[in-house]
Amino acid sequence: MLFEEIDRVKQDFDQDIKEADSDKKLELIRIKYLSRKGLVTQLFGQLKSVPKADKPSVGKKLNSLRQEITAAFNNLKLKYGGDDKVSSAAIDLTLPGSKYKTGSKHLLIQTLDEIKNIFKGMGFSVYEGPELESDFYNFEALNFPPDHPARDMQDTFFVSDDFVLRTHTTPVQIRIMEKLKPPVRGIMPGRVYRNEAISARSFCMFHQVDGIYVDTDVTFAELKGTLVSFAKQFYGTDLKYRFRPSYFPFTEPSAEMDITCYICKGKGCRVCKKTGWLEILGCGMVDPNVFKHVDYDSEKYTGYAFGMGIERIAMLKYGIDDIRMFFENDHRFLKQF
Amino acid sequence: MNISLHWLKDYVNLDGISTEDIVDKLTMAGLEVEDYTDQNKKYSTLVVGKVKNVNKHPNADRLTVCSVFDGKEDLQIVCGAPNVKAGQIVALASVGVFIPKANFKIEKAKIRGVESFGMICAEDELELSDDHSGIMVLNDDLVPGTLLNEALQLNDVLLDIAITPNRPDALSHIGVARDAAAIFNRDLKLPKIDLNESQKEAKDYASIEIEDKINCPRYTAKVVTNLTIKESPEWLKNKLKSIGLRPINNVVDVTNFVAMELGQPLHAFDLDLLAKKKIIIKSTETKKKFTTLDSKERELDKHTLMICDGEKEVAIAGVMGGENSEVAESTKNILIESAYFNPKSIRKTSRKLQLVTDSSYRFERGTDPSNTLYASQRAAQLISEVAGGEVAKDHIDIYPSRIKNKEIIIRFQRIKKILGFDVPKTEVVKIFNRLGINIIKDLSDSLEVVVPTYRPDIEREVDLIEEVARIYGYNKIPAVSKIGITMEKRDDESLFTDEVRNCAVMMGLKEILNNPLISEFLAKITGKPIKISNPQSRDMAYLRTSLTIAALQTVANNINKGEKDLSLFEIGNVFNTTNENLKSFGDISEKRKLLLLLTGKKDERSWNTDEKSYDFYDLKGLVNSFFSKFSLDNLLNDTYNSSEKSIYEYYFSKNFNDDVVAVGGKVSKNALDLFDIEQDVYSFEIDLDKIFEIKTEKRKYTEPLKYPKINRDFAFIFNKSVTYEVVTNFILEQSSGILKEVEIFDIFESKDLGEDSKSMAFSLEYFDYNKTLTDEEVENDFKNLIKKITEKFNAILRGN
Ligand SMILES: [Zn+2]
Repeated sequence: MLFEEIDRVKQDFDQDIKEADSDKKLELIRIKYLSRKGLVTQLFGQLKSVPKADKPSVGKKLNSLRQEITAAFNNLKLKYGGDDKVSSAAIDLTLPGSKYKTGSKHLLIQTLDEIKNIFKGMGFSVYEGPELESDFYNFEALNFPPDHPARDMQDTFFVSDDFVLRTHTTPVQIRIMEKLKPPVRGIMPGRVYRNEAISARSFCMFHQVDGIYVDTDVTFAELKGTLVSFAKQFYGTDLKYRFRPSYFPFTEPSAEMDITCYICKGKGCRVCKKTGWLEILGCGMVDPNVFKHVDYDSEKYTGYAFGMGIERIAMLKYGIDDIRMFFENDHRFLKQF
Repeated sequence: MNISLHWLKDYVNLDGISTEDIVDKLTMAGLEVEDYTDQNKKYSTLVVGKVKNVNKHPNADRLTVCSVFDGKEDLQIVCGAPNVKAGQIVALASVGVFIPKANFKIEKAKIRGVESFGMICAEDELELSDDHSGIMVLNDDLVPGTLLNEALQLNDVLLDIAITPNRPDALSHIGVARDAAAIFNRDLKLPKIDLNESQKEAKDYASIEIEDKINCPRYTAKVVTNLTIKESPEWLKNKLKSIGLRPINNVVDVTNFVAMELGQPLHAFDLDLLAKKKIIIKSTETKKKFTTLDSKERELDKHTLMICDGEKEVAIAGVMGGENSEVAESTKNILIESAYFNPKSIRKTSRKLQLVTDSSYRFERGTDPSNTLYASQRAAQLISEVAGGEVAKDHIDIYPSRIKNKEIIIRFQRIKKILGFDVPKTEVVKIFNRLGINIIKDLSDSLEVVVPTYRPDIEREVDLIEEVARIYGYNKIPAVSKIGITMEKRDDESLFTDEVRNCAVMMGLKEILNNPLISEFLAKITGKPIKISNPQSRDMAYLRTSLTIAALQTVANNINKGEKDLSLFEIGNVFNTTNENLKSFGDISEKRKLLLLLTGKKDERSWNTDEKSYDFYDLKGLVNSFFSKFSLDNLLNDTYNSSEKSIYEYYFSKNFNDDVVAVGGKVSKNALDLFDIEQDVYSFEIDLDKIFEIKTEKRKYTEPLKYPKINRDFAFIFNKSVTYEVVTNFILEQSSGILKEVEIFDIFESKDLGEDSKSMAFSLEYFDYNKTLTDEEVENDFKNLIKKITEKFNAILRGN
């Protein structure tokens, strides 16, 4: 009778141990079988009532049951026992450390943060605006008349006659000036969209930082000073730069800022199209027509504005030759930065 | 705009100025030279060769094996051109020479088993034209071995200038020459008109009437009779070819030449094809069809400005002529149109027809209304030179209301206020003179000037200031550092988003940025999407309505590349519409969201850890950590839903006063199937705009507990249907208040417990802020709890 019971306990144990996949479950097994009130101990207790003749054989069977259970238990305890294992084993300092996952900001955001910090240090606020923008803010208030070729400069995604996916972050300038009286000094980072064929050089969306400073005596000379300071902080103090005339409807005079190509050091290469210069931003003095839309007196106030594309800057800085890499979110790319 | 330096030098003497200097100075004056080609450099690697003999290729019918003398030795060359013959003088590229068009370097090659040591070039391969019918055959008198640039006098420099939309005046050689003259302080030379006109007057041949005076302020015409249409002379063909235009016939070539010389687009009509010898400029009253000279039928809108004869339309004004009045070989008499059209009207037509021509491009930017007569005379003179014929006396010039020159006052003090430094008055005067801006009054501290009509962009004082700065040189303006300190609190509207981002990074997630443009099908799964009116493709025709639906493609792409274990976040906007017609901001919902996404393995197998996949509880823990970081955990309540909805198989949400502020869970198989994802994905989206609005109290310091905590554990066997939350809440309700924390530390099911049962073990934390608890107090509460739980849930206490 005790023989059969021993077999049943063994069967139960075999089943239980199969399901044991944690230290906690092992502990329950230990309690069930091996503890002071455990089944094995109970069986040993019953040995007293076994007829003398059977005692040696039953005792032997019981002992081997205890050995088997203890061995199986200890074996798994080694696997799941956690602390026991490390402390009991001799420490091997050469074993690899445990793995920890680290988070990261997107490379474009890292680049943007760097730009933001430089301008915040110069006293600029940071403003944001919607990506779905009205024609008024995106174009009209920025002195793009309807049916004007200047609108071709920015291939636009339309969602209705009155709304577009903003083609630049410049509309936020208008939104801020509507809200505040001069002095206004801020940068406006954000996402913009252009209906351009997707290639290594262009994507249907990208990120920009716009900036504006309006006060009673803001000049082109000061615009140059601010942007040269920015460029030197961002790219290094030994950089050469130039400002050349350009055209944007919302600034007059308008300029583009080039810096010496830091790949070829100005000798001319593929990246700078043999010119030795890299265009990094557009800028100019706020056009009086823009002030008209926000009720600023352009006789009293002058201002400068600038805008730059983050992707382009990040591509140059990190040697990335395909803009699509930023939006593919290839984990192998994300892990690099 | 393609500009030939040779051609440019017809109007301004640039002797002694290097090409590099010209390129640099034009760029620095706002005419950005994006690229330039020095033909001398480009063609000096090729030489003149003589084909000595031509033999059949042993293995290919269409190929020949030629022997070509390069001035020093004979080269064996395998040639595929049908026109190659012994004795020809050809353009030869030997091994090592770069072929621009094909973008490759000639190498020694074996072509179908025969060695070849060079190439005999066709015109297109050298970018001299688009002719690829055969090799280029050169004049017999050229000596083999002569450099090709010398032999063909290819010594021009071709500039590719990016002209900004405000500078229509620079869309011609004379326009660029005018700026060059101003920059280098040289004289501008305009071609002289010296016409030998016949007795009969132009108005005897044709009559002109403008009906739409708003869209056609001026229309000028010259008539040339008895001309002969033929091929243009070499000089004319070369000029056009140098800037990439294809010669057609002498009359058309002259009109194109003058357009590129003066920036005034011209059109030549076959006078004999004009019904009633009449030109009427009017806008269409109804929609109609019209065949342009490229033999394409175009659909014209109502109100399209047209050139008509006495019976019918003969040209789309400013855009393209009609097939029905085109100059052809048989043409004898022509009428040359030189008009000024309203830029807006031309732009509208060009956009509607999606037809941009050299002509429409110039008209829509604004041509010079004062220049139509001069341009027509220039064309008439050149046509009579290259096509013979007689130029009819005088011209027809309808100009009902003269476009006035703008008069502007510019103040020196204002120049300083904008630029930040003084430009000397003498410099300002010099710059205006060179740009053709006439000073009519010198008011000592200001100037009153008249702006020429070819500069429609100069309308205000500030535009003149830009001209001064541009020619004087932006680089002469100092870079001043003068930023003042701010007396008001600085705003940073991106601060909250940045805090959210930092929190996500802290939690070990990697940031992704996805394209918000997705397909209609996907966009409709998670919202009421906004459609792009002019999408690039159907895959990108709608704006995303959730971050998850746009991010799943990223997950799929990574899995395909073997990157299966991802813990990601994205901050971005999602767009929904509340109204079909987007007329105001009220019809649009643009919201900033945070996406948390987990998939694959949480822990990889390693010597001290076992493999573990992400599960729902990892997501929930992540979400709760996020909210507790923002002190929102106590303000929000959870709701759970275990049935499938939207993209989730089961999900939970965070609510603030019944308003859902965040939702997520296990992404359903149906959703994953759309992207062929075969592993579990957990995602959660948080509405950052809403979170931002929930005012949380400023975190304040709380003093650490002074009195000891007492812990007790118990485990019960419950019916499977009893949830953790119900038990925990019950425990907290039933306790006397000294119980502060309840945590579940174990849960399992097993055969021993029975089919319908599960074990849950809790640890209880007792303490009091003001005193040390006695064992008795705790023991009483603990025993009471055991009793209550046993009764309430019919649970069995498991032996301790
Ligand atoms: Zn370079």
